Amino acid sequence: MTSATTNNITGKSKLWKPPIVGIVTFVLMLFAIALGHTLMVLIEHGLGQENTYIASVFIGIGAIILLWYGVKSNNENLQTWIGFITGLLIWMTWVEFFFMFYGRSNWGMLPRMDGVDGLNVSGTFPEYMIMGATVGILMMQLCFYTFDKDTRCNLFLWIQRKLGLQEGLGSSTKRSRDRNYAVITFMETIYVTWFCYIWNLLCFDPGLVGSEDLFFGLNMVTVFVAFVWSGYCFFRLLKFKRTSTALRYAIPVGSIFWVSVEVATKWNLFTEIWVRPWDYKIEMSVVLGAFLALVLLLILAPKKPSELGRSRSA
Amino acid sequence: MNMLSKSILLLILAQVLNATAAADKLKLPPGMGGVPDIGTIPCEVFNEMIVIGPLGTKRLLLTWAEGFYQAKSGKSIDELLDIANESGQSWDFDSLTGHFAEFCAANPDLLTVAAVVDLGAHLLNAATLKQLH
Repeated sequence: MTSATTNNITGKSKLWKPPIVGIVTFVLMLFAIALGHTLMVLIEHGLGQENTYIASVFIGIGAIILLWYGVKSNNENLQTWIGFITGLLIWMTWVEFFFMFYGRSNWGMLPRMDGVDGLNVSGTFPEYMIMGATVGILMMQLCFYTFDKDTRCNLFLWIQRKLGLQEGLGSSTKRSRDRNYAVITFMETIYVTWFCYIWNLLCFDPGLVGSEDLFFGLNMVTVFVAFVWSGYCFFRLLKFKRTSTALRYAIPVGSIFWVSVEVATKWNLFTEIWVRPWDYKIEMSVVLGAFLALVLLLILAPKKPSELGRSRSA
Repeated sequence: MNMLSKSILLLILAQVLNATAAADKLKLPPGMGGVPDIGTIPCEVFNEMIVIGPLGTKRLLLTWAEGFYQAKSGKSIDELLDIANESGQSWDFDSLTGHFAEFCAANPDLLTVAAVVDLGAHLLNAATLKQLH
């Protein structure tokens, strides 16, 4: 952070301006999602399923302790990073691994099968069958954000405008300095990931959409919507100057785009190398190296005083 | 068309419909996990299923095996295990289902029914020996 502070003091960067900030955060987000998958399979294969369940309890606790550190910080950039990282860790451990424990071990569920003869283990593992059932809980909680006057999420603000809620809700009581970006980014990462998972899972569920025309049509629509939605947001992201804001905005942009990647994977259009890192060591090493380089670049990028907490603490 | 021709035609039609219905494989409701007949799938598939759904896959094959042994011996699994215990064998859920898993891991080209038969050789032999004494 010392370097970043120095850069900020020395003046405007020729590199860190639109559209570089947006492009870097978007690519970083795609790498982060891929590497999140890789980390999960490496933990599961490295520790074995039973040990993974135990480890996930403690990894989650570690993430919450890190989040506590972030919440105490007055540095928006640090808060954003910690919120993002802890959101990913909590999702992987306390959500996915816990669902895995209940589905595979505690309740003895079976994987959903596909293929012509129904003898191929599909990607819909027991944990994802459970996750699909959380759609109602997700919708219930999204209602809170829809009717929350203090939300700053562009999607919810747009819904509030379309529903004519803004007059009834009144203006937000919170200013920028009242917001803790560690918790906001933490919740944003979890809810965006949850939403995109549910989106994919409902469109893949043969019990709901079958496996023929409706399945194909719905997933074509999904790809179209995900491309248009993430494309629209991406072009907005290209205008961002502040790396902290861009990073937060890139979370949904990358995740919505990834919905199309999951559909393409379902159609066997390419191999998910990120869930088979042992078969693609060089490729995944390159992705990891590129991810770390982008993280380092973003940490070292010049920051506005407001991102570093100076104006907030003043 | 006389009565006899009509009867023959209806008989043929009934046979065709019957054959078509018999050709339809049993399918699970589409949202469910697993397979409709765990006892007749290749061990290779069982080996993949057991990674993702270890407890459920083992339990499903054990349930199938219990029906198989009942049909073969006329005894319930509890009765067979009691007899096996008296002859010095000790079985529980883990060892029974572990036998299936080990057999299929060693014989991926066989069907799961072979694993059930292999375990049955232990259980049913114990029951047969008991009857001889």
